[in-house]
Amino acid sequence: MKKDPKKVRNIGISAHIDAGKTTLTERILYYTNRIHAIHDVKGKDGVGATMDFMELEKERGITITSAATYCEWNDHEINIIDTPGHVDFTIEVERALRVLDGGILVLCSVGGVQSQSITVDRQMARYNVPCIAFVNKCDRSGANPMKVVEQLREKLKHNAVAMQIPIGLENDFQGVVDLLKMKAIYFEGKQGEKVRIDEIPEELREEAEAKREELIDAASMFSDELMEAALEGEVTEELLIDAIRTGTLKRELTPVFMGSAYKNKGVQPLLDAITRYLPHPGEVENVALDLEKDEEKVVLESDPEKPLVSLAFKLEEGRYGQLTYIRVYQGTLRKGDFIVNSRTGKKVKVGRVVRMHANQMEDIEEIPAGYIGALFGIDCASGDTFTSPGIRYSMTSMHVPEPVISLAIVPEDNKSQQNMSKALSRFSKEDPTFRVKVDHETGDTIISGMGELHLEVYIERMRREYNAIVHTGAPQVAYRETITQKADFNYTHKKQTGGAGQYGRVAGYMEPFDGEFEFVNKIVGGAIPSEFISSVEKGFRSAMEKGQLLGFPVTGIRVVINDGQAHSVDSSDTAFQAAARGAFKEGFQKAKPAILEPIMKVAVETPSEFQGAVMGSLNQRRGMILGAQDEGDTCVIEAEVPLSEMFGYSTDLRSLTQGKAQFTMEFSCYRQVPQNISEELIKKAQEKKKKAA
Amino acid sequence: MEKRRELARSLQNGPGSSNNIIYLRERSITMLKRELILRNPLSIVKTEDKEPLKEGQFGAVLAKAGVGKTAFLVQLALSNLLRDRNVLHVSLTQPVRKVCLWYEEVFHNISQEYQIKNTTELWETILPHRFIMTFNKNDFSIDRFEERVNDLTEQGIFFPQLVIIDGLDFDEGSRESLTELKILAREMGFPVWFAITVGPDEVLKKGTLPSNVEPISDLFDILIGLKASKKEINILLLKGEPSKDEENVYLDPSTLLIKDRK
Repeated sequence: MKKDPKKVRNIGISAHIDAGKTTLTERILYYTNRIHAIHDVKGKDGVGATMDFMELEKERGITITSAATYCEWNDHEINIIDTPGHVDFTIEVERALRVLDGGILVLCSVGGVQSQSITVDRQMARYNVPCIAFVNKCDRSGANPMKVVEQLREKLKHNAVAMQIPIGLENDFQGVVDLLKMKAIYFEGKQGEKVRIDEIPEELREEAEAKREELIDAASMFSDELMEAALEGEVTEELLIDAIRTGTLKRELTPVFMGSAYKNKGVQPLLDAITRYLPHPGEVENVALDLEKDEEKVVLESDPEKPLVSLAFKLEEGRYGQLTYIRVYQGTLRKGDFIVNSRTGKKVKVGRVVRMHANQMEDIEEIPAGYIGALFGIDCASGDTFTSPGIRYSMTSMHVPEPVISLAIVPEDNKSQQNMSKALSRFSKEDPTFRVKVDHETGDTIISGMGELHLEVYIERMRREYNAIVHTGAPQVAYRETITQKADFNYTHKKQTGGAGQYGRVAGYMEPFDGEFEFVNKIVGGAIPSEFISSVEKGFRSAMEKGQLLGFPVTGIRVVINDGQAHSVDSSDTAFQAAARGAFKEGFQKAKPAILEPIMKVAVETPSEFQGAVMGSLNQRRGMILGAQDEGDTCVIEAEVPLSEMFGYSTDLRSLTQGKAQFTMEFSCYRQVPQNISEELIKKAQEKKKKAA
Repeated sequence: MEKRRELARSLQNGPGSSNNIIYLRERSITMLKRELILRNPLSIVKTEDKEPLKEGQFGAVLAKAGVGKTAFLVQLALSNLLRDRNVLHVSLTQPVRKVCLWYEEVFHNISQEYQIKNTTELWETILPHRFIMTFNKNDFSIDRFEERVNDLTEQGIFFPQLVIIDGLDFDEGSRESLTELKILAREMGFPVWFAITVGPDEVLKKGTLPSNVEPISDLFDILIGLKASKKEINILLLKGEPSKDEENVYLDPSTLLIKDRK
């Protein structure tokens, strides 16, 4: 393993579903000699793309887990994380972005910037990942890469600039004109592996010159030297590359490349661009939190000699045990070293260290700063930080959204039951947005996640990888309960018949609150002895786990206690917890409780002729339409719709628009359920309770 | 058309607005709304009833680029939304998300300025009264606009009571499409407010109109100019009958909120 961090690129490939990122990755691996044959995502040969190694992914043509792999190009080492495109799996995308230094935004030259691309772009912005864009599928009918460059500017507000122009389009797509070298590039040979450089075709010369001017204009904003050279008409390739690189690293310029991965065109110049314009680990500022100094921010140095700081960003349970993908930010992770998990404080010895290539691996001795690798036999959760003994740093916590949908699952038989437990424990460790709990009333196992497809994929994986056959109930929305007005409580918990007695009185009030929960102690004169205050808080917290309307967690409450009473003998921790639970129940009923439901931000892209129909369909589903963006032949309708109304929407939308529209949705907020629906929900919950009893 | 309007009214009127009952739960929101409406951005214009513009009438805010036309119009929209009037905001230059951001930003600034708490609830009550529509400038036409509005009204999704159009280019050739729009606005029953960008060399002052507006000024009933001076942005009534407050209102350049010197 070479150790020049300046020649390392950790990159991710993000895109809208079906924009072709897995195909692109596959071609990159082929041209960098990591694989020796090309298999397509939905290929006829039945082998499937190398990065999509899960059976399920091959079948659905989507990438679920972000397999990490590495390759070499022009003396540079490139670590690639292939990321999923579907919005339900955004935690995977976000995790991948957390450990990347640069990204390739893949866009479809026909579809252009779609709503999912906007989500992905926002994620890149959140983690400040510099990126270059690749407009794929230039061979498709309706391809218009220049329109996509325009959309990058208009819709994503990128300062996008074309680095190439296409030679021919659609069926006639032959290659690209490189505006840097002012040469035509053709891709020949069976797999496009032979790059032929030629003169620019005469009919494209004028356009190429105009576009090069635009490129120089945009790039010269980042280099005075280039600006001077441009004025004198002496622009050199080096000056231009330097300026574009500076702009890209600042995230103020997005160079756009084009091609067709499927037709093996335009991939090699993209590889050159990765090494030229995307940052090496030393150019990216990474910050950790010092847990010993009240989470003070510490800037990490990409120095292999410094103490180790690394992040476990992905776990996988394989044939040989748990595989932990890890990114080293500072220091070196060596085989045989002792490292500390800063969350648990546990010290562990590093066993096998490997470098991953999709589902094959290569044993290595160490992972230096800036590199990505994987460890075997380390017990941890994803998102854990590992450091050298002696320091307690934690990488900033990742943004983990709360799950919004749940599903009851029942194993078919005993064997499935055992396998299901194994699978669930692994999945919940791997994916923080996937949660598992047991409903104590019904005895059902409940899984929760970010959308229907998210849960569906896990059910399938249980069946395929663990041979656990499970039956599922109807999807259940994760409601919340809250109060809408202030109410007093004054509750005495008394049990003084036989044995040790229990006594505690808790009084005060509860009121709506903007956050989750706040507990305020305004007791004066020791009406409740100070040692029991925490018991009271605990009692309130436990009561809030299950509301009285539907049994969902209660949020948005401030509880203020201002009076109470204790008994010198009979008061205890248990007694005050019980008193608080009673007080909560009393107050909650008086405080006009209400049900909150998750509201999703939905964006539907549809041909204009179906705009009215789509709006009608959203309106029928209690959606509030925020706006309609007219874009010529297509339009995007943005709306906020309750999740409970979105089940089966994809089928409805397909039939409504002859399959021409698509939609994405993500969680937006919780909002109060209308009165009539709330009554219906309560009625249903009561019936269910009766049945269970 | 009258039927359609009646349906609009019955659909859009929430509890409490159809008669004089104010439910206890809504009291705080109602008070907040009243307080905000008092700071109506159009207080410089003398009006006989609440609405300075009637159905089919046009108003416009004129300024050079970047002075605060959109912010002004968003405040105008908000003051209508707070009165439960439906506002259709059409933008030809910005995507829906960006327009949403304008509203959020102005609303946030107003609530901070006047220290209004509990704004989430208020925000949620006004949102259903707003609809944002965006077009590519080159694709925009009155026919297309009419088609889109019909999509909304025919299905009972939204009935605009005020339309704001931001980003339309104004020149001698605009007369035809503006006249077409005027007829449509009269038919559908809403007034229209525009943002008009004036050239960088134009000086806005009372008594004269910028060269791109002059030839079409007869189509407008109210014209308001925004002029940046050293410390504030002056609001000038270029066409319309001034109220006694005319001299007292200005735009704060830091928040772009309308303020009252009194």
